[in-house]
Amino acid sequence: MLTYTLRRLLGMIPTILIISVVCFAVIKLQPGNFTDQYLEDPRFTRETADAIRRQLGLDQPAIVQYGRWLWGVVSRFDFGYSFFQNRPVTSVIGELLGWTVLISGLTLLVSWLVAVPLGIYTAFNRNGLGAQIANFLGYVGLAIPDFLASLLLVALVLSLGGTNVGGILSSQYIDAPWSWPKILDLLNHLWIPVIAIGLEGVAGLMRQMRASMLDVLTQDYVRTAKAKGLPQQKVIWRHAVRNAINPMISLAGLSLPALISGTIVASIVLNLPTIGPMLYTSLLNKDQYMALTLLMMSAVLLLLGNLLSDLLLAWSDPRVRYS
Amino acid sequence: MLKRSFTALALITLALAGSALAAPKKVTGYGSLGIVNGKAGGTYTLALGDSPQSLNYYGVIDNNLGLVAQQLFDGLMEFNLSTYKLEPALAESVAVSSDGKTYTFKLRRDVKWSDGQAFNADDVIYTYQNLIMNPEARAGDPGNFKLDGKPVEMKKVDAYTVQFVLPRPAPAFLLQQRYFIMPQHKFGNVKGAAVNNVWPSNTAPADIVGTGPFKLTSYTAGQKVALTKNANYWKVDADGTKLPYLNAVEFLVIRDPQAQVAQFLAGNVDQLNVTGAQFPDLKQREVSGAAFKVFRSTALFGSPPFVAYNFDAKDAALAKLFSDVRFRRAMQGALNRDRIIDTVYNGLASLPGHGVAPVNKDWYANTKPQLGKFDIAAVGTALNALGIKDTNGDGVRNLPGGKNLEFDLTYGTDSSVYPALAAIIQSDFAKAGVKVNLKGILSSKLLSTGQSGDWEMILHAFGDQPDPELRKPIWQPGGALYYWHRTLQPAVDGGTPNLAKMFPWEKEIYGIFNDAATTTSRSTRKALYTRWQLIFAQNLPVTPIAKPENIGAVSNKFGNYIYNLGVIPGYNPVPLIYQK
Repeated sequence: MLTYTLRRLLGMIPTILIISVVCFAVIKLQPGNFTDQYLEDPRFTRETADAIRRQLGLDQPAIVQYGRWLWGVVSRFDFGYSFFQNRPVTSVIGELLGWTVLISGLTLLVSWLVAVPLGIYTAFNRNGLGAQIANFLGYVGLAIPDFLASLLLVALVLSLGGTNVGGILSSQYIDAPWSWPKILDLLNHLWIPVIAIGLEGVAGLMRQMRASMLDVLTQDYVRTAKAKGLPQQKVIWRHAVRNAINPMISLAGLSLPALISGTIVASIVLNLPTIGPMLYTSLLNKDQYMALTLLMMSAVLLLLGNLLSDLLLAWSDPRVRYS
Repeated sequence: MLKRSFTALALITLALAGSALAAPKKVTGYGSLGIVNGKAGGTYTLALGDSPQSLNYYGVIDNNLGLVAQQLFDGLMEFNLSTYKLEPALAESVAVSSDGKTYTFKLRRDVKWSDGQAFNADDVIYTYQNLIMNPEARAGDPGNFKLDGKPVEMKKVDAYTVQFVLPRPAPAFLLQQRYFIMPQHKFGNVKGAAVNNVWPSNTAPADIVGTGPFKLTSYTAGQKVALTKNANYWKVDADGTKLPYLNAVEFLVIRDPQAQVAQFLAGNVDQLNVTGAQFPDLKQREVSGAAFKVFRSTALFGSPPFVAYNFDAKDAALAKLFSDVRFRRAMQGALNRDRIIDTVYNGLASLPGHGVAPVNKDWYANTKPQLGKFDIAAVGTALNALGIKDTNGDGVRNLPGGKNLEFDLTYGTDSSVYPALAAIIQSDFAKAGVKVNLKGILSSKLLSTGQSGDWEMILHAFGDQPDPELRKPIWQPGGALYYWHRTLQPAVDGGTPNLAKMFPWEKEIYGIFNDAATTTSRSTRKALYTRWQLIFAQNLPVTPIAKPENIGAVSNKFGNYIYNLGVIPGYNPVPLIYQK
């Protein structure tokens, strides 16, 4: 198992390198320059554009820019400077990482906690009224994009006279030290993104779980278990769910990159201090090292997520052991 | 040619040197704007489109930083809030020599930085020499301190006097001296490219020191920038009460304009600038008793949209047509300005000026008659006269070679007005037999697309300024932003434009801007700019569409609200705002 993990980890290095080259090339191939956004300012002249290009090393060939970045990462774990903020990319990302992980983690958790039991329930009660309702709500959740759901919830809160319409904290708590009222205020804001973003994922996961469950339920060993008189609970949890959950574990690994890029639009609409909007603006304005670093983070999370899900799979399913 | 008006200059000096030395500046005379004496206290919350990228105004061009910096810093000069006339700010007075080449600023002696240190000429010299005139500073303005290739000299006369000596008279020079002055004692002696690294956004708030009405107390990335009253501020109201009235100003970071409106309606944001499209909804809520007021103001600043045709379009037949003033004039008749003002701006716009806002009494020349009328039949007649007729009966006119008269209209998709404008233009042009294909791009890419030359017709806007001289790179043929006729641009930066390729009217405008830039006589400049506006209106290098009104909404909790477009250095009404 350990050698397998090590082998997988080492195998990631060339993949990551190739991904970084592709990402950098794509960022570079995008038309326009970092300085284009300033053209409209009367203070901005062509001399300033040249000075900025020189200062940022943009006058060097792309291969040199990439090489320097890579060398910085490898030798000093330095992911370059954000052109926008004129300070290291890592410090800029660091400021938002906490909130990003909290919000994305929470919404992922909610999606799973709601979707998996609902999937199981709807598989067992295929024709029941409850399942029909759950299915219907699931489809509605799937059909409404997260940003629209956010806007609808904001409009609802607004019409009920609430003030928690976006953001993650009320103004007076933003720079205040942590306290119970601050946590309550946080919870009062947090439920909107959790519902809006979390529910979008529910339908898909629920259908997956249901399909996978239905598959398993027709298997001989489930029929045998039922036939030998095992209690229903045991049939479900011990025999059916344990087998049906395998595809879900693979899915879970794939959802890890959503931590960064999953909530861009909803974050803009709901005004959340997460990394998503930063990825968007950095790509739009060619803040290349910021964009590259965020894309790499996303790629690394995907690879790690895959590895984790493989390991989990091996743990949960004796048939998939890699030794 | 240069007629110098000694009396006028002497008058400026007198008027500006009015107040006594070592006294705070009294802010009075705004009764007409409804300004009353306020009371101290309160927190005023505004929206910010994103976190400021840095806290160093000269380190990055950033609108959000500009909005915050406006409350933290001051310049030597500032605008009168009601007349837009220049007044001394950190300068106590300014004297201009009779040849219009020497500007002597006497600084206020009573000004203290927010950390208690005294403000003096060294701060001004440092800011100008190492930040504003520094070609390595990413948000400096060195271009304005080289006239005809020769530098503007600057020297310290004494601890409270600085002097600028210009190589030639430049009448708009004073107008430009609204640059924020930075504290030398905090910047140390940083020079060159290193100035860009001062005050990144994670600097400790106490280190951000200014002379402005407020000082920084906290910066939370992605969420909020908080300011508190600067007890050392150098302005007082009519009664001698210290300004600002407010205890604190907070900027909430809210990226999405709709989300800003939601936060405003929820009472989390106290003031918001809105568009004509949002006006009916907000006004209706106001009328039905919401706790805010919506204000309309025909302010001088703001960006009126125009359409331009690419004189150097890649398609030679189109380039030839677009360069023909008869075509541009004909197509103006297919621009339904009334319908646009009515439906796109909900009536909250007026007919545009040509390069000068109609409300700008100093310079505006009445060009309304040249705007013509919306008349599709007349467009047809004019195009027929140009030999552009529908020869194959498909409803689209044909160019002399037989090709359909069909071109792309590049516009910004992420805007509340551009898409609607583009759709109206497309449908009205179609009625005249001209096929327009819409090509949407991000609004932030409009200018770079314009400058790349890769477009045929474009819908764009440039901001109006109080003095046409400040918009010279846009409206002077061959200027860096005169992108609809790119072949005029000089081979090397700062060189002479390609005069040979200019149309006679472009040559005349070129000369007008050169003359007006060196004439100190106001009446001569007025005559020159009047001529320019008329030539502009007749030849339509671009065709202006409408001048939108500025609309702001403010909570009823606050008094003394004056509309402020956004980042206009030297125009800051916030110190007068008070909580009722």
